[in-house]
Amino acid sequence: MFDLVQLIILFPLLGFIGIGVLGKYLKSEKVIGIIGSSTVGISFIISVILFFHIISTGLAKPYIVDVFTWIATGDFSVKVSYQVDQLSILFSLIVTGVGFLIHVYSIGYMHGDRSFARFFSYLNLFIFMMLNLVLASNYLLTFLGWEGVGLASYLLIGFWYDRKFPGVRITWTGDAGNKAFIVNRIGDFGFLIAMFLIFANFGTLSYTEVQDIAYLGKSIYFDTGLITAITLLLFLGCTGKSAQLPLAVWLPDAMAGPTPVSALIHAATMVTAGIFLIARNSVLFSLAPITMEVVLIVGVITAFWAATIGITQNDIKKVLAYSTVSQLGFMFAALGAGAFVAGVFHVMTHAFFKGLLFLGAGSVIHGMHEEQNIKKMGNLAKYMPTTYKTFLLASLAIAGVPLFSGFFSKDAILWAVYNDGGFIWWLILTIAAFFTAFYMFRLVYLVFHGKERFDHHKLHPHESPKVITVPLAVLAFLSVFGGFLGIPYVFGFWFSHHPNALENFLMPIFAKSNNILGVPLEHELHAIEYLFIAIAIAVALIGIKVAINYYSDDKLLRPRRIAEKFKAAFDLSLNKYYLDEIYFYLIVDPIVNGSRSFLWKKFDVGVVDGIVNGSATVVQKISETLRRIQTGIAQNYALLMIAGIAAILAWVVSSF
Amino acid sequence: MDSLLSLFIGQYVADLKRSLALFAPELVLATAFVLLVIVDLIFQKSKYITGVVALLGFAVATIFMIVSPANTSFGFWQMYVFDPFSNFFKYIFLISGFAVVLISFFSNELNKSDRTMGEYYTLILGMTLGMFVISSAGNLILIYLALETMSLSSYVLAGYTKEIKRASEASLKYVIYGALASGLMIYGISILYGLTGTLSLFQINAFLTQYQGPVFPLVVASLLVLVGFGYKISAVPFHFWTPDVYEGAPVAITAYLSVASKAAGFAVFMRFLKAGFIDPTNASEQVWTMVSSIDWKFIVAVLSVLSMTIGNFVALWQTNVKRMLAYSSIAHAGYMLMGVTVMTEGGYIAVMIYFFTYLLMNFGAFYVVQLIANEIGSEELEDYNGLGYRSPLLGTAMAIFLVSLTGLPPTAGFVGKLYIFQAVINSNMIWLAVVGVLNSVVSLAYYAKVFRNMWLRGVDSNSAPLKYSIYAQLLVYAFVIPTLYYGIFWTPLVFWAKSSVMMFIGK
Repeated sequence: MFDLVQLIILFPLLGFIGIGVLGKYLKSEKVIGIIGSSTVGISFIISVILFFHIISTGLAKPYIVDVFTWIATGDFSVKVSYQVDQLSILFSLIVTGVGFLIHVYSIGYMHGDRSFARFFSYLNLFIFMMLNLVLASNYLLTFLGWEGVGLASYLLIGFWYDRKFPGVRITWTGDAGNKAFIVNRIGDFGFLIAMFLIFANFGTLSYTEVQDIAYLGKSIYFDTGLITAITLLLFLGCTGKSAQLPLAVWLPDAMAGPTPVSALIHAATMVTAGIFLIARNSVLFSLAPITMEVVLIVGVITAFWAATIGITQNDIKKVLAYSTVSQLGFMFAALGAGAFVAGVFHVMTHAFFKGLLFLGAGSVIHGMHEEQNIKKMGNLAKYMPTTYKTFLLASLAIAGVPLFSGFFSKDAILWAVYNDGGFIWWLILTIAAFFTAFYMFRLVYLVFHGKERFDHHKLHPHESPKVITVPLAVLAFLSVFGGFLGIPYVFGFWFSHHPNALENFLMPIFAKSNNILGVPLEHELHAIEYLFIAIAIAVALIGIKVAINYYSDDKLLRPRRIAEKFKAAFDLSLNKYYLDEIYFYLIVDPIVNGSRSFLWKKFDVGVVDGIVNGSATVVQKISETLRRIQTGIAQNYALLMIAGIAAILAWVVSSF
Repeated sequence: MDSLLSLFIGQYVADLKRSLALFAPELVLATAFVLLVIVDLIFQKSKYITGVVALLGFAVATIFMIVSPANTSFGFWQMYVFDPFSNFFKYIFLISGFAVVLISFFSNELNKSDRTMGEYYTLILGMTLGMFVISSAGNLILIYLALETMSLSSYVLAGYTKEIKRASEASLKYVIYGALASGLMIYGISILYGLTGTLSLFQINAFLTQYQGPVFPLVVASLLVLVGFGYKISAVPFHFWTPDVYEGAPVAITAYLSVASKAAGFAVFMRFLKAGFIDPTNASEQVWTMVSSIDWKFIVAVLSVLSMTIGNFVALWQTNVKRMLAYSSIAHAGYMLMGVTVMTEGGYIAVMIYFFTYLLMNFGAFYVVQLIANEIGSEELEDYNGLGYRSPLLGTAMAIFLVSLTGLPPTAGFVGKLYIFQAVINSNMIWLAVVGVLNSVVSLAYYAKVFRNMWLRGVDSNSAPLKYSIYAQLLVYAFVIPTLYYGIFWTPLVFWAKSSVMMFIGK
């Protein structure tokens, strides 16, 4: 039964190859769209089947499906094999489920694009690689997927390669793609080194084997330099892929890609690969307290940093991009606090509401004829009622309004961070949550309410077609109700004493790390937890209220006044803390200048070229001489051959 | 006495029956050979029917290869050997056979209106039969006969386009040179027979285990036999015929000579060394010991270094792509000899892997050369300018083959080199590996020249695009796809070679 996992991988691959090769000949957008979506849809259905099979069998140990041996040289052998367990199937559900909706949405969104087929083949490639990433049973295959999604992301960011995209030293969308790719290289480097270390010390790259060895030797490995190094390097990889500080700079520029891409890759799935990697390696991470501390701090600071930027941005997609970075910070904070389930829970709810927000933004951009500046929108609720309603629901979810999905997952994170990290980190994260509520409702009000700030004669906003609004509705449903899968114990105990559905489901995955971290099986109840929840709710509601107060006024007098009063802080936020500029000044420019003036003009031209050209000249001289042997006269050949034998004979005999 | 005779006859008949059953693929080839002659008489007008019959012959032989039981034994009273090693090479010959016939279908120089193609395909079958026999021969006389079968067919094939002057010249040179090499070889065989009193490789081996006499005549005899093999694999200094013949022969035949003929030479050479000179008691070990005091390692290493170096260095100066590929094939023989030199199981496995990859990329490269010659009528490097833009498929395919020939990932050629170098380094012959790597670097220089001309020169020439039939294009893919596929998923190939290295050594 579990062998079906191969089909989950296979279908998107077939879609990628099929559409990639035959796309030119398939003239109909409908055919391409249906093929592209159905491959992912089939994978989703198989994932659902496997999901229920796991529940019914209560799979205690991961089920490994070997497909074939990829590399076998000496002691080193890597199999292409997939691992079916609770974590991989959960991610597979998110990737294929949300992925399917976004594929369907893209049929409408990309309608009329001249590279329609190319778009769908890339999307299928992405799904294929992402599934390899999450279903792999060893590090190398995950790394293949890791690089593969990076490639797909690169291809899709620069999808409209002939369009301009403004940014710090960025002019074309292709530049943004390069930036994403290059910044990710730094993280990948960490992943690679971690992989080398793992192979050198554990002698295997299989997840189950590494975790078993580490768990059995937990008293030896606990808090050693080796485990700390491995986990820190893995985390470096995560900061790249999941856009955390210090490598967060690429994600906002990745918005150069078409909006479905932003929704799928740069919000719902790929950027959560870092969370996946840490969850997959929960045993290693729980053996490294220092790394856990680092993960927590990086997560909290990123969450705060990005949230403060989100409040001043004027591009609808940029706001959502910084929001994504911020929410990913929340997830890392949860992981760092040892609350793996809470982190994964937030991945899931975030996939729903952030996917929805991006798709809603896409619908707005579509209806507004490619306008992305929220200062030039307003009162769109009147023109796009479905988009408005779903967008509003998602905003309520991300802001953390009670009973919406984001409320539960965010609450679980905040409580875990307080419990493990202490009051300060909790406080920073809570402030970030306040900003989240604020910037979301600033967005809602500027886009959908107030006065129309666009030229009514030129622009006729319109609601999007069904193929776009239906996925919105489905995601809206999930954004509202998805949270009930993981009701925190503090509420859940009213219904039963068991852990919530998600925690129960993921129990086998995190049993070992929970054991190491000393997490009790049964939750204790703290009265203070209710207080914290009350604060969280209050913060969310105040954030919303402030935003409404500020931005329901058409002249935006109050926001302007505040911006002028705190001009330095405002500029800092508007310019993203000048992080891009700092990187260019401190790192990129010195390297480029050094390479140009010394490495290229002196070392390369002088030393390297000198050696190369010199040896080339020698080789040429020799070969010209050798060439003369081939005279073309048969007698000479015979003579030379006999001479050759004689020479060898003489040589052999003389060596007796 | 009478009963003894009848027992002997009974055994003889039993052995013959058993051997003939295993001999089925060779019998199929022989039958196809005869059938072709008849078909040719009936359908003299058609150019392709004989080719199709040849393909059918190869197909039936392949089926017999597949269904024949895995067997490791003597046949025909120790003259013949059935083992996984010979089977591996027989598959190589069959694939090459398919390839050469298909390539010939798309050759303009061959399929001229006034030429009958019957003998052509007949001779290809005959040559393949010779290769089958040589890869299984366990007796020096049979080796010699098979070698001559191959050679005689190839002399004619090389000059098949007899109206072209350089083809006739090539054929003539080939004959002269071949006669000399084969004369030296049979001279060596006769000395060896005089010394040991036997022609069977296995009995020679047994003799050498006991042998205490002078080594000098043994060395002379062995070196003379080596000439015959060296000439087939075109190792320096027995390579002089190669450039002239490769340049003059039709492209399809050049490709066939450079792959299949060379494979046959390697198969028999490797068997000669292992069955004749390796201590059979430890031949299943990773590292073999030798029974004679002849320093084969040293001799083969010298041939290897010479072949690599001279092949690559002279190739640098060639202006004709076919001739350049001829020198490149000499260099590749050198790389493969590295695998033979180390005299280990790993080395032999590496050679076998290399051959499979070499088959793909070399046939592919020659096929592209032929397709280009079909359209532009030239094989000169100068005339390749801008061809990448006139035919992106051929330009891309050629680039892939050349990258593969250089030995860079992600192509099959990389895998072949990887295992060769691994085997050499595992036997602590680091210096040889260094020579090999340096040679690969040199080879990049001339391979890149082709690529440069195709893509970077004559970019703005507005010549018409080259048009090829869909079948001709499909055949390009048939070489390109496996070249890339085995560059990434090479494990099945390695398993195949590992399971085929088992050679019957008489014990």
